[in-house]
Amino acid sequence: MRAVWRHARAEARRVFRDPGALLILVAAVFLYSFFYPIPYLPQVLREVPVAVVDQDRTPLSRQLVRMADAHPLLRVAERPESLSEAEDHVRAGRAGGILVVPPGFERDVRLGRRARVGVFADASYFLVYRQVATGFLETVGTLSAGIDIQRLEARGRTGAAARALRDPVPLIVRPLFNPSEGYASYVVPAVLVLILQQTLLIGIGLLGGTAAEMPPRGASSGSCSEGSLVSADPPGRGRSRSAGMTALCRLLGRALFYLALYAVYSFLVFTVVYRVFGFPERSRALDLCLFSLPFLLACIFLALALSAVFPHRETAMQVLLFTSLPSVFLAGFAWPLEAVPSWLRTLSLLVPSTSGIAGFLRLTEMGAEIRHVRSEWLVLWALAAAYSLLAWLVERRSRPALPPG
Amino acid sequence: MKAVLRRELRRIASRPLEPLLLVVLPAVALAFTSAIFSAGLPRDLPVAVVDEDHSGLSRQLARMIDATPTIRVSERPADAAEAEELILSGRVYAYVLLPAGLERDVARGQAEPVVAYANAQLLVPASLVKRDLLAATSSLSAGIKLRRLRAEGETEASARVRFEPVRADIHALFNPQLNYLSYLFVALFPTLLHIFVLLAAVNSVGSELREGTAREWLAAARGSVPRALAGKLLPSTVAFLAVASAAMVALFEVVGVPVRGSLSLLLLGTLLFILAYQAIGVLLVALFANLRFATSVAAFLASPAFAYTGITFPTMGMPAFARFWGALLPLTHYLRILVDQGMKGAPSAVSARSLLALAAFAVLAPLAAWPRLRQVLRDERFWGRR
Repeated sequence: MRAVWRHARAEARRVFRDPGALLILVAAVFLYSFFYPIPYLPQVLREVPVAVVDQDRTPLSRQLVRMADAHPLLRVAERPESLSEAEDHVRAGRAGGILVVPPGFERDVRLGRRARVGVFADASYFLVYRQVATGFLETVGTLSAGIDIQRLEARGRTGAAARALRDPVPLIVRPLFNPSEGYASYVVPAVLVLILQQTLLIGIGLLGGTAAEMPPRGASSGSCSEGSLVSADPPGRGRSRSAGMTALCRLLGRALFYLALYAVYSFLVFTVVYRVFGFPERSRALDLCLFSLPFLLACIFLALALSAVFPHRETAMQVLLFTSLPSVFLAGFAWPLEAVPSWLRTLSLLVPSTSGIAGFLRLTEMGAEIRHVRSEWLVLWALAAAYSLLAWLVERRSRPALPPG
Repeated sequence: MKAVLRRELRRIASRPLEPLLLVVLPAVALAFTSAIFSAGLPRDLPVAVVDEDHSGLSRQLARMIDATPTIRVSERPADAAEAEELILSGRVYAYVLLPAGLERDVARGQAEPVVAYANAQLLVPASLVKRDLLAATSSLSAGIKLRRLRAEGETEASARVRFEPVRADIHALFNPQLNYLSYLFVALFPTLLHIFVLLAAVNSVGSELREGTAREWLAAARGSVPRALAGKLLPSTVAFLAVASAAMVALFEVVGVPVRGSLSLLLLGTLLFILAYQAIGVLLVALFANLRFATSVAAFLASPAFAYTGITFPTMGMPAFARFWGALLPLTHYLRILVDQGMKGAPSAVSARSLLALAAFAVLAPLAAWPRLRQVLRDERFWGRR
């Protein structure tokens, strides 16, 4: 036990004396946590500029245009003469959508014929499409309902009965957990979890590269911590212990240090960072701790196992940096997992963030309890167990390569 | 230049990392991204229906919901509390509550709205599910209304007009099938590629410093920094251009994204995009004269870049700082060219500014790096730093 503690302290010295490791395992965690969310902070895209082609030029068409402009998602920015001119505005990025009110619009309404308007939304940017389509549909729906109710009332129906006849089975869809349907609330909590995993993988990988770069014997920059590490293990006892036992103590000691460090980060992320950005924190503290434990252990042991393959300090960054993006799309929050091929879903379970993001989102954003994330929790424990075994095997093999005391 | 080129090709062939960064990992990344989205649009997303009415109408509505393309009614919990559990366990994306007395109230024309609860924490499935739930109920509604109006003696045609006096016909410009796949794929692969271009450039110049071979490299270029850089970066420019072309073929031929604009502008943009990131890589190594640190800075530029490009959350909605930072990233300009020329078919003039921005990075960054690089490559004090 004391050997484990000594290894933990040696690992701490190694990290805190290495500017490269500090940059990733300390600075990057905070830098990314606050830098990444900035573009999403407005949460909802409002006032999308749109072009209106009013070919009717009647009081009713002007009323529709005013209603569109008043809609919170839209802003009438251009009033071109023709559809092709309006499309040019969209191509040039000056407008995100077009409303075309054809000639005869008001006359059709007056004569009880169905009047149609055309809505064109820029689908090359999905959020623009969604806001423009929603904005215009709601505007036209409101106008249409008003006309319908007026007509029904004209035939002697009272307000409530008129409304019921207009829409016999009305539906309201209530957004749960993220009531404003904010973009930051949707993306950022998941990315914060990913930041924990990626900094662990890359930071520990950097230290693995440091070890690999060290000359087999002799004093280089890294050897002071190695030296203290070895001196912390008195030669008498060290020799009597089997290589496997030493590797185990060393592995547990290193893991203990990272667990302590990242427990602090998790606490900061789920309290301070969440509060700064105004995300809900609905989980119970105990559940969050219970879930963080296997997640962090899985990440740490995976990182320790991987770290042995990196020949240089920068290799982990070079090889692992790109994995963030696929990890995001395999975590099921940005893209429904039902649409991902099943072999890939199974494979993605090997990455801790897949289960980690799913579980953390439900705990913190949705207020789920640990029993609701049981399967994710079990997967993470299985990963932690498997990767610790792998890391132990790796640690055992790499032990003799370390410089003698 | 030939000597530098020959030397660089030998270096690439003799190390495992270079081929990994230039070809293998980009190919793996391309394969993974295509695999993730290979099934196309999500279908049959699980939704729960709580039927407390047990009437012909409630069963009909449940059937209609199940029949929509995006939704599958996977669970039938007895009450709202049970449905809530299903949402929290991640087993359904939404639940619909059909209250007792629904059929009776609808018949009397005094139904309270049916309420559906969608998990908005998962925005994409939530909005897909919402769309189909609205479609199902409004078609049920329309049917009832039509019957009722005809019972009152209206003709079918006038009844149809009556349930929607003004109708908006929605058209999706540039992506009529609203294909999420092409939209994301257009953006994701260049984002992955720019990580490799930047890291590879930092690595190929930075490793000369780390290994103390800078003088030898410069000697092969007969002392000229531009010649040394050109010979060194040319092989990776070619490799990345090949990978990017393969991705474009996949995008245009396999995924079926039409090229509505100019293909030559797209290719020119791709070349400038690669050159811009190589140039930034060179600048980073010159500034910091430390491969590990330059790689860390490159990582910081590259990994949050996607959020700043405006593909997911559009630039027009961002805070001023994010718009500014996004404009400093060549990726933003390149993705704009891809969307403008690939999907929108924008006039060339629209893309000219983006192309100019990329060219500026490709030209200005090496110029800025030049004096410092010349010093760093010659001075042994800058070598071997880790």
